[in-house]
Amino acid sequence: MAICTGCSLLCEDIVATYENGALTHVKNLCRKGHGHFQAAFTERTVPMIDGEQVTLDSAIAKAAEILKSAKSPLLYGWSNSTLEAQAAGIKLAEKLGATMDGTSSFCQGILMERILSGKIPSCTLDDVRNYADTSIFWGSDPSSSHPRHLSRFSYYPRGEKRQKSYEEERTCIVVDVRKSATARLCSNYYFRVAPGGDAEFMEAILAVLEGKIPKVGDKKKMIELGSRLKKTKWGAIFPGPGMIYSLQDKMELFERLVAKLNEITTFKVIPMVGHYNMRGFNELMLEKTGFINSVSFKGGAAVHGPEHSAMAAAKTSDAALVIGSDPLSALPFGTAHALARLPLIAIDPRRSLTTDAAKVVIPSAISGLETGGTAVRMDGVKIKFEPIIDTNLLSDEQILTRIMEAI
Amino acid sequence: MAAEVQVTIVTVRDIFQDEAGRKSRFSDEYKNLSALIILDKQDMIRLEAKDGQKLLVKNDVGSVIVAARTSEDDMHPGLAFMYNSPWSNQLVSDVVCEGSIPEFKNIKATLSTTEENMNITRISELQARMQS
Repeated sequence: MAICTGCSLLCEDIVATYENGALTHVKNLCRKGHGHFQAAFTERTVPMIDGEQVTLDSAIAKAAEILKSAKSPLLYGWSNSTLEAQAAGIKLAEKLGATMDGTSSFCQGILMERILSGKIPSCTLDDVRNYADTSIFWGSDPSSSHPRHLSRFSYYPRGEKRQKSYEEERTCIVVDVRKSATARLCSNYYFRVAPGGDAEFMEAILAVLEGKIPKVGDKKKMIELGSRLKKTKWGAIFPGPGMIYSLQDKMELFERLVAKLNEITTFKVIPMVGHYNMRGFNELMLEKTGFINSVSFKGGAAVHGPEHSAMAAAKTSDAALVIGSDPLSALPFGTAHALARLPLIAIDPRRSLTTDAAKVVIPSAISGLETGGTAVRMDGVKIKFEPIIDTNLLSDEQILTRIMEAI
Repeated sequence: MAAEVQVTIVTVRDIFQDEAGRKSRFSDEYKNLSALIILDKQDMIRLEAKDGQKLLVKNDVGSVIVAARTSEDDMHPGLAFMYNSPWSNQLVSDVVCEGSIPEFKNIKATLSTTEENMNITRISELQARMQS
């Protein structure tokens, strides 16, 4: 069995056969995972400096030279690297006095911080499968982002206390600005919110839970929702970027809602983390520095703040190393533009907009397919995996170690 | 003069676009699934646009030419959807309040139809803008 590192569900039941450089047989992969496994053979990177192919040793030496001569380097990415590589990255950042940030500062970071500090109660996905009778997808669409979430954990499976499952025992609720694929599935309990209207909707739920008339939404439907939540024996909320981006600095309202629900019954929260090891990076950073992301090691001690986020640091740094991430595709134009103007080092198995703009490209093995390691699933469960394809490519951890040795 | 329509764009995910992006960010398949905007029927009528019509999407941050697609969702005039991609990110501001996340899901933009001979913005054009 192989592990799929295509998303943070880290599905452990994958059967994949590669023959003569092609994926010839697969079992249990979702569409997203299938794309991830197929990608092992498309648009792989080669060592490059200034667009010219070079030896791996030359690329590593050039990367070390750039980082060594930089006064304020930024190290960004990390959510698609193993815990072992992330640990090597933290050591490199300490040595360089660099700024270090992960993708979570653009998505689930503000919620993950509350989960890891225990302000918001969480659980494992196995608990959800065994006990949950209500699952709320708030600003998330697992049918697109985590395709096997519903079938493995939250809706369809028969769990220890949920033998009658979705037919009789599980209710799925969706709160979203659009009728997503998941919302179509749970159409009896689909609640549309306006962009930025999530806080107002939370206030309305709090009102109905307190027996008051809600100020927004269809009152009858809101009262029905309140009733459903009160009848829940064991519930789980899965917030996605839709909720996070909408709430921003009003995250305390979500804390209040979860606390209120837990006065009535049991409700746990699992953030719908996208990349396979974003949570691992947050946990490791918290353990090593006391902060989950956006940390500067300049001056020795770890300092956290928005000025050390990748978005800010892209404009103040004089070099950047990007690992397993494509910020030029995924981040706002201004940030992408600022990064592209820096001496950029990209460590990535595959070609991207970021590798195209990089001064130095270092090819790496794909975690889970070509190299093993450890990662943390979206619910905090640590999972070890072994490679299933032989390769001569170095892992992220090996590359970072070699860069550090050369500095 | 071509009609203009003001919309709020929310970026969302799509499993087919995600799969295409994993295989190649530079393929026609990824471009065709990314360089598009999903509009309410009423907004399509106001723009006199049909599915596949090329639209200029513009705001203070940037502009892109993408294809229009009619939404299958319930009525949502003034609300448009784009799949998260380098095309949508051309329109996202990186100027935010300290500690806030960029408005990936609340992009104000103006839509207008383009001349027939205008092309959908290519990924190479986006790369050139970033590296300029």
